[in-house]
Amino acid sequence: MASFASPSSLLFSSPTSNFASATLSSHPCLSVSSSICSFSLSSSSLSSSLHISPHFLLYPINSRVRSASSSFSVKAASEKKKVLIVNTNTGGHAVIGFYFAKELLSSGYDVTVLTVGSENSDKMKKPPFNRFSEIVSAGGSTVWGEPAEVGKVVGGAIFDVVLDNNGKDLETVRPVADWAKSAGVKQFLYISSAGIYNPTEELPHVEGDVVKASASHVAVEKYLAEIFSSWAIFRPQYMIGSGNNKDCEEWFFDRIVRNRPVPIPGSGMQLTNISHVKDLSSMLTLAVQNPSASSGNIFNCVSDRAVTLDGMAKLCAKAAALPVDIVHYDPKAVGIDAKKAFPFRNMHFYAEPRAAKEILGWSSTTNLPEDLKERFDEYVKIGRDKKPIKFEMDDMILNSLKVAVPV
Amino acid sequence: MAKLVVLQQRQPSFSPFASSLSDFNGVRLHNKLIQYRRKAWQAKGTLHVKASSAKKILIMGGTRFIGIFLSRLLVKEGHQVTLFTRGKAPITQQLPGESNQDFADFSSKILHLKGDRKDFEFVKTSLAAEGFDVVYDINGREAVEVEPILDALPKLEQYIYCSSAGVYLKSDLLPHFETDAVDPKSRHKGKLETESLLEARDVNWTSIRPVYIYGPLNYNPVEEWFFHRLKAGRPIPIPNSGVQITQLGHVKDLARAFIQVLGNQKAIKQVFNISGDKYVTFDGLARACAKAAGFPEPEIIHYNPKEFDFGKKKSFPFRDQHFFASIEKAKSELGWKPEFSLVDGLADSYKFDFGRGTFRKEADFTTDDMILGKSLVLQS
Repeated sequence: MASFASPSSLLFSSPTSNFASATLSSHPCLSVSSSICSFSLSSSSLSSSLHISPHFLLYPINSRVRSASSSFSVKAASEKKKVLIVNTNTGGHAVIGFYFAKELLSSGYDVTVLTVGSENSDKMKKPPFNRFSEIVSAGGSTVWGEPAEVGKVVGGAIFDVVLDNNGKDLETVRPVADWAKSAGVKQFLYISSAGIYNPTEELPHVEGDVVKASASHVAVEKYLAEIFSSWAIFRPQYMIGSGNNKDCEEWFFDRIVRNRPVPIPGSGMQLTNISHVKDLSSMLTLAVQNPSASSGNIFNCVSDRAVTLDGMAKLCAKAAALPVDIVHYDPKAVGIDAKKAFPFRNMHFYAEPRAAKEILGWSSTTNLPEDLKERFDEYVKIGRDKKPIKFEMDDMILNSLKVAVPV
Repeated sequence: MAKLVVLQQRQPSFSPFASSLSDFNGVRLHNKLIQYRRKAWQAKGTLHVKASSAKKILIMGGTRFIGIFLSRLLVKEGHQVTLFTRGKAPITQQLPGESNQDFADFSSKILHLKGDRKDFEFVKTSLAAEGFDVVYDINGREAVEVEPILDALPKLEQYIYCSSAGVYLKSDLLPHFETDAVDPKSRHKGKLETESLLEARDVNWTSIRPVYIYGPLNYNPVEEWFFHRLKAGRPIPIPNSGVQITQLGHVKDLARAFIQVLGNQKAIKQVFNISGDKYVTFDGLARACAKAAGFPEPEIIHYNPKEFDFGKKKSFPFRDQHFFASIEKAKSELGWKPEFSLVDGLADSYKFDFGRGTFRKEADFTTDDMILGKSLVLQS
């Protein structure tokens, strides 16, 4: 049985209720708290705003809840929305849900994170999942299960906003979307990918540009736009940030601290966009806070600066206060698949967050030189600089180029 | 706000037209008449001059490229526009596509103040004698050139300066934003020093930083360089990888931006990057030029410039690095946006200039032949 943490603060302004400081019983039913929250949000009559789910009656009902529900008459001072984040259990996007949850919680929202799979799986031993206690102690709820059974997994709870940060295709997202629609979710957000833009010689990728018809996310985006009146789509690129599930800057640090050459395919001039994940969570939070402005829009979920691949290597070296030796190679000539040897696309891949700036008044706070210093400090703190690593692909590349590697 | 004007595209023929309005005395008389008329229109006691009211505007330069388009827009807006030039280029020339009517109208209204802007004494006395509300400094390169202008016009409402994105310090993080570090050692440091002077003199200044400007009558062989090769059916030699990213801005869009800052509260003491909405790779630009001009897709040859000694000749018209700037500030603050996409803009340039057989620099394929002759070429 999933455990539910008690919401830290339900901000009710009614003088007759103790709810402002109330903590629900140690085994609160999510549907109880959700019904209270939606109750407080609604400005319509009491009876119409109280959502009673089938599960409501199965759990012990706090008597204070009942008395409050009949005498409650004051709106909450600000909207206390309930947000559900359906989060992937692996990969570069996993960290988005983690930061988004924490930012929403510190902004006073009610947050549930549904992670795909099982709480006991090995995947949960990696960041950000091994830090989910931070979500719980901030007052959020964490549950595990299959997105296809989302309604059941959240115990029939009601949400105002749902973010799907999991599915890459319609088959995976549709059950979540359909459930959200039928459950009256007001705003549906989706993490897509800037990778779906058609490659072009004119940069950057801007919202509205042509996307690859074959990309699986495209069908999801279309479906959401069809069934929801309030939807927003976010297309990210690469991220750095503590709690990341996938290596990004670490790939450079691994080589720099071991005094190894950094093999970069092509000219090294390829542009990419590497954002601090805080930029993504702040953009998502703004969208939740401004549903009408964000509705019907696609947002490139990225920082507002490009960096070259060479530039990234140099910035990582600077952050580590170490020299860097960049070696360029042609993957075809060496006979390797660049995708396996290098963590970034071997081409210009650069989107700009123009819609977020224009429509949401969002601004980027990513500062790669500073952010990478923090990242390097953590890299050393966890002892990764001492970790023995095999560089088989690197050695293959360097051998073919006849580049010496220090022992 | 001022209405944005697009030049009419009617006349196919190009006929240079020398203006008879060139001498200072004639200008002074003409101005006195205008000033009298303007005072009669204004209500008594009205001191505040709104952006929409006619201004007495001086353009330093204005007969070569940007100013040609800007001056037309200003005259159409009803302003009194004087061009300060040495008179080397004709003061007015009928533009390809400009109707006889429009050209006649423009020619009858544009004024000329003949002089050398490096003659600081003359600049100071002639400008002081005239008095201008607004100065557009399109050809200024050094801060010293600006001082006499400011000295001559203590009541100047606005000094609008054509600077350059070339002032930005090279960076691994792009695009350049107006707040980015500038390079005091760059080739364009005169522009930087001018911006600093304007700031220090507490003038109501606005600085525009274009990237690469293109369009009909461009005297910098930007698109022309590609068109020459495409026309000759020659391969296009591009240094190194060809993925270097640059940015072109159409001269007509730039002229509109210059209009948008006139009398604009949001432009006071502000810098704006002005260029196209999207950036492009060198390879992509070669293909865009071909597409715009109706040529087949070109053969592109990449080469390592270090393997050649080109002497004083330039083998490629762009700096061999990424170079592009964000125009988001101008878009959000000024409500300006570029109207031309890259291919459309290049097509406009081709249609009204190179495609008619006109260009500024003769084709010179010396460096191309050096590159093509040598068997060492990089794989594209």
